Amino acid sequence: MADDRINLEQSTVLLVDDTPQALDMLGSIFQGFGVKEQIKRPSAVEAVKVLQKRPVDLIVIDCGDPEMDGYAFTRWLRRETPAPMRYTPVILVTGHASQSKVQEGRDCGVSFVITKPLTPAVLLKRILWLARDEREFVECETYVGPDRRVRNFGPPVGMAGRRKGDLSAHIGHAVEENMDQADIDMLLKPQRVTL
Amino acid sequence: MTEAVTTKIQTSLAQQMAQPGGRTLSDVERRANERLGHHRAEVMAEIEAAVAGLEALCAARPEASAAEVYRLASRVVDLAGFFDTGPLFDAGYSLADVADRMTSADAWDWPPVQVHVQALRLILNAGCERDAATDQLLTGLKAVAMKARA
Repeated sequence: MADDRINLEQSTVLLVDDTPQALDMLGSIFQGFGVKEQIKRPSAVEAVKVLQKRPVDLIVIDCGDPEMDGYAFTRWLRRETPAPMRYTPVILVTGHASQSKVQEGRDCGVSFVITKPLTPAVLLKRILWLARDEREFVECETYVGPDRRVRNFGPPVGMAGRRKGDLSAHIGHAVEENMDQADIDMLLKPQRVTL
Repeated sequence: MTEAVTTKIQTSLAQQMAQPGGRTLSDVERRANERLGHHRAEVMAEIEAAVAGLEALCAARPEASAAEVYRLASRVVDLAGFFDTGPLFDAGYSLADVADRMTSADAWDWPPVQVHVQALRLILNAGCERDAATDQLLTGLKAVAMKARA
């Protein structure tokens, strides 16, 4: 993918917003981006019905409907749909995030949260980032979604890792004999290489 | 505690975007901004209606209207957030934040709401331009918001 180009000519985007004008504006932005198809729905419940019939390539949602908001929708997508649909990237757009929703945004499994002001430039950057996203998909009892560790420094300090690749924080006794000093010297000694 | 299962994935979006072709970033951004611009007049009318709704609430101060104040302030934020409306967005966001925090703390108070709504009207009347006067206005709102949160 060239750094200065974006190709959405084959992509179908599901846009969900409970404010009709905002939904129209999102549609205009994606029309400008040149997507193949956009499906617009005024509620998360309607969006669920779409996904029960067909897959999409990207979901952008801004929905505060108490029946099912953007966070609940993402949880449903990540936990109740089969692969590969459950891996579909989700960008959650929010105007003002109420105090009670801040942690929910982190834990529901969205690929990105974008807080307004939302400009086409910001949205483009996030979509490009998603195209290069190499984060693994994590599934456990308390979380299903893209890895929240954008930089993997291992499990949080003082906590045991829960992934196969996590190293133990405990340093135990040596399991092999110490190396002989002569062997260490040999490792460090510069030697001529014959090619 | 369950073990986390990790899966390496490549989404259909990533596969499609890796295909050659498409448009330049500057081109799609220009096209998107152009199309978005067509909505501006309609959206500003909606924002105007939301501010008028907030003014009516401030005048009547009905019981149990915190949720409605938050809804209207969020509407201003949601719509203004698509354009460069500078101080209007900031004032709307501050009002939504104040309303949310006062509701959470069960400490509703009208004066901070009233000050924010007056500021929204002044900013709207001034064409949403950012200048020294609106900067001062926003600084004042920040102080009001801090006091309301305390």
